[in-house]
Amino acid sequence: MNDSEKWDRILKQALASAVEPEEELNQSIINRFKERTRMKRGHRKRISVGLLVVVFTIVMSITAYAATQLFSSKEIAEHLGDRSLAEAFESKDAIEINQTIASGDYNITLHGIVSGSGLSEFSSSAQDVYPDRTYAVVSISRQDSSPMPDTSSPEYGKESFLISPLIKGQKPWQVNIMSMNGGYQEIVRDGIMYRLIECDGVEMFADRGVYMAVSSDAFYNNQSFVYDEDTGVISPKVDAKGISVVFDLPLDKSKADPAKADAYLQELLKEPSVDTANEGGALEAEEAELANKFAQLKKRIPDGKVIPESVKEVTYDDKGLINYEYNDRIVKISPDMLFAEGQTGLSDAVNISGGEGNYMALQFYRDEHDVITGKVIDLN
Amino acid sequence: MDIEELSDLVKQHGKAIYGFCYRLAGNKADTDDLYQETFLKAMEVRHKMDMNQNPKAFLISIAIQLRKNKRRKFAWRQRIAPTVVLNEAADKICCTNEEITPEEAVLSNELHSMIRAATDKLNDKLKIPLLMYYTAEMSIDEVSVALRIPPGTVKSRLFKARKAMKEILEVESP
Repeated sequence: MNDSEKWDRILKQALASAVEPEEELNQSIINRFKERTRMKRGHRKRISVGLLVVVFTIVMSITAYAATQLFSSKEIAEHLGDRSLAEAFESKDAIEINQTIASGDYNITLHGIVSGSGLSEFSSSAQDVYPDRTYAVVSISRQDSSPMPDTSSPEYGKESFLISPLIKGQKPWQVNIMSMNGGYQEIVRDGIMYRLIECDGVEMFADRGVYMAVSSDAFYNNQSFVYDEDTGVISPKVDAKGISVVFDLPLDKSKADPAKADAYLQELLKEPSVDTANEGGALEAEEAELANKFAQLKKRIPDGKVIPESVKEVTYDDKGLINYEYNDRIVKISPDMLFAEGQTGLSDAVNISGGEGNYMALQFYRDEHDVITGKVIDLN
Repeated sequence: MDIEELSDLVKQHGKAIYGFCYRLAGNKADTDDLYQETFLKAMEVRHKMDMNQNPKAFLISIAIQLRKNKRRKFAWRQRIAPTVVLNEAADKICCTNEEITPEEAVLSNELHSMIRAATDKLNDKLKIPLLMYYTAEMSIDEVSVALRIPPGTVKSRLFKARKAMKEILEVESP
């Protein structure tokens, strides 16, 4: 046996897998296929019922109707392989909503919501800090009935959707799915996109009012929603481009926990600083060192040298995000991430990049006419 | 296709597809997902599958596509599924018919683990044909059809993959 043959044999032995699918897993494939075939048959039968629902919706001028032709929250959790969560969606603590709102060219359905600890078979590190999690299923379908891109299609993911709980009275750009340790899983079935979102539990806010917001954005965007500073109410923006939907979540007010909610918000809204980073070893030494370094570099900005060619007024895309480009730096960001409402002058948020003693900072400036200008500063 | 045909497909090719998905995904939770999605996707596009031709290659190419999409899809989402390592013992079964001493078995297990770790370091362009060839036991021609690349390219990628692995192993071996 020559070297090449030996190597070939070793590779075959090492890479051949002794693992096998469990019988349960195979059975689940068969069951899901059966279920899907059954659902498809159901669709054809329900066309006339669907039409009736549409007529009813127009006559009564309401936008909500029972999402009978769609999968339930439980079924979506099952499809995603989370049997434990599927059971939770059937429990008495779960709230079945099935409300549909039309917006942009889409129909958005909020299927159901459930909160609690240990509901999912899959745990995330966020649970170690806040064991209570909220799970909700939202689906998006096209009004003209054309299918949403399948997950295997190259078109999939090209269009962004933000699905996030928001809290009444809390600035939505601060408290949303991103800051609430959120995440999601997504599937497309029969041309309808289903998203199972999860984040820190929202039931503690039940007495304040909690929303489920949906928009055509990758991140929270003020161009899609209106936040009333006085009342704390968050509503869809009338002239929003694309989807802008806000569902009121019918949470059980008796489950509110004002003290817990206050403590949670205090932690979430805490300004990260070098001092707090070092406090009680909250962050690892390496992170604290980085934060320290960043703070030191930030201090050098006023003495840095602005690169004249980099001073450029930003442009806006159709979603209201600002675009700034200089050399290989391309920044696309919501202005809310840089400036507080009504704030003019230099942005506190700064991007610093580089290494080995060679650092550059990117900072934005907003004047009284709302014109935002970006500049790159050489910190060396 | 009916339930019976799907059942046959799972029975005939389930182990090879699962093994391939496992080497690709690296942990049980992701493997189970990918494996399940592969068969369900195959059912959706079954009109494209010729049962008399090569369903295994068809299933493998679906698994590859699904994994590519998954990577793109979860750009910002947190990792929800935990990384569950499969039963190490089961995975370390030495697939040889020859009788070996316990010492040889240990050495062999170590080498196999190193090879698997080296495979994980390859980029998909080299890794996928390698896994198709060795894990799913597909021929050069089958890999070529499934990946839609000429057989010569498959051979060259396999050659490059083996070479890259040798280099990784040489660097990492004491």
